[in-house]
Amino acid sequence: MKKFKSLLIVCLCAGVALSTTGCGKKKKGGLRDGDIGGLTGTDIYRNPLGARPGEDMEYARQFEPVYFAYDSSQVDASERGKIEGVAESLRRSANTGVIVEGHCDERGSREYNMALGERRALAVRAYLIGLGIDGSRIQTKSFGEESPSAPGHDEESWRLNRRAEFVLFY
Amino acid sequence: MKTHMKHILIAGLFLLALAGSSALAQIRVTKSAGTKSGIDLTGIQAAGDQASALFMTTLREDLVRSGWFTITGRGQGQFRALGSVSLRGGSLRVECQLYSTAASRALMSQSYDHAANDARRLAHRVADDIVYAATGRKGIASGRIAMVGNASGHKELYLCDADGGNLVQLTSDRTVSIAPKWSPDGRQLLYTSFLKRFPDVYLVTLQSGNRTAIANYPGLNTGAAMSPDGKDVALILSKDGNPELYVKNLRSGRLTRITETPRAAEASPSWSPDGQRIVYVSDQTGKPHLYAVSRSGGRPERLPGRGSENVAPDWGRNGLIAFCSRTGGNYHVMVLDPRTGETRQISSGYGDFEDPSWAPDGRHIVCSHAQNYRSRVIILDIMGDTPVALTDYKGDWMSPAWSPE
Repeated sequence: MKKFKSLLIVCLCAGVALSTTGCGKKKKGGLRDGDIGGLTGTDIYRNPLGARPGEDMEYARQFEPVYFAYDSSQVDASERGKIEGVAESLRRSANTGVIVEGHCDERGSREYNMALGERRALAVRAYLIGLGIDGSRIQTKSFGEESPSAPGHDEESWRLNRRAEFVLFY
Repeated sequence: MKTHMKHILIAGLFLLALAGSSALAQIRVTKSAGTKSGIDLTGIQAAGDQASALFMTTLREDLVRSGWFTITGRGQGQFRALGSVSLRGGSLRVECQLYSTAASRALMSQSYDHAANDARRLAHRVADDIVYAATGRKGIASGRIAMVGNASGHKELYLCDADGGNLVQLTSDRTVSIAPKWSPDGRQLLYTSFLKRFPDVYLVTLQSGNRTAIANYPGLNTGAAMSPDGKDVALILSKDGNPELYVKNLRSGRLTRITETPRAAEASPSWSPDGQRIVYVSDQTGKPHLYAVSRSGGRPERLPGRGSENVAPDWGRNGLIAFCSRTGGNYHVMVLDPRTGETRQISSGYGDFEDPSWAPDGRHIVCSHAQNYRSRVIILDIMGDTPVALTDYKGDWMSPAWSPE
């Protein structure tokens, strides 16, 4: 509980610092680009992560992956609806958490892609926080380029592999 | 002046150059002057058994691989080895003296006694001793190379000798194991594994097989590299909300955050030989490039690099930084002298050359070479010898790291 409290305090502090983000105190409806984490790639990356989940039940592939442009961790407008769907589901079941997995295509440095994948997962996490989901329910996990979903070596495979996936846990 | 003296002098100049201020320029001079000496091995009397024969084959190959020698016929060459190889019980006994044709005094005189079923390993040792006696430089034959292979269907860590032999599978975790890096004493490996479902940093002691997680914070834990004094580990963590560079003290566990870049990701730290600075990758300009920063933090300095991306640096004990640069759509291995800013491309040809790691001689570099979506590990020579393939095994091989000795 202590951990949760300190996390909440950090969250609130972050919320005050970025008063427009309104972490955990999201006003209903009327989201504007400037309001939401995960869009501008700037100050959203100051939300510390909570403790990892234990060996819970995990449910993958309940939601559509969020796709990214090459070498980018910005959440495109076309992808936001998917994250809003995840937020809705998390709102409905309070005991559920989500692991956001960040993935890259095979091009570029393996080690750098581990960091880029994490940035993608964190961008989606920040968007969820912007939608009012408590950050302690959202974990991130980068696979870099180590776990492609499409096996090809062409533009279409690369597009499908630059993604964030959602894994729910209870 | 006798030819071999010239060669030794050149090797000496090369060493001086590496300690001086324009190592890369000097390498070019050295290269054009020629660096190979002939060595006559016909004076080593080897017994007819299998172990002795394997010893001699391996020794010959190692000496050629060192880059400093060509094997000559009887009575030719600037160096001449005398001695014997024989099997006694389960033991291989080797006597070896090395002479230069200029002087009568032996440059080296050694006796060896080693398990006969490990003849290759003994040959590696003798080869390195000959290289040292003739050139004053560390050899590469006794070192080992850690790398990642996927032949089992999972990415596991492997070890092999510097000639690709003696392949050993180190992990059997059936998960993803990546980015092996040696401790400075060559006894431990740091790497990243998804053993507990998330990317964590592990430290393995090779002899005991003992493995401990040294970073398993929430989010990303990766890119770990041990400082030259073995006391600290530089690594990438995202626990505070973004992938950043940290230094963790191994004894106290204390973490020092080095970078603060909410708009950028950091990756791939590597320590300077004196342990005072860290080179790493950051994409704060929108593309990944190299930066150097004091080990205690402060203002990072952007390092020059030719390509649209400059990644995967390895700061060698010769003071030069090997890294990988994207030029014309492909990745190539480059070497940067951070004191002068001079950069030279080392790899050439088709495909992607990535993840360079310096050999202990400061002359060779091991890296991965991906072509037609197959990846293998090869050895490059900054003085211009033809690249040599290390892995001829099934599967893809990548992220090699050469042991410090």
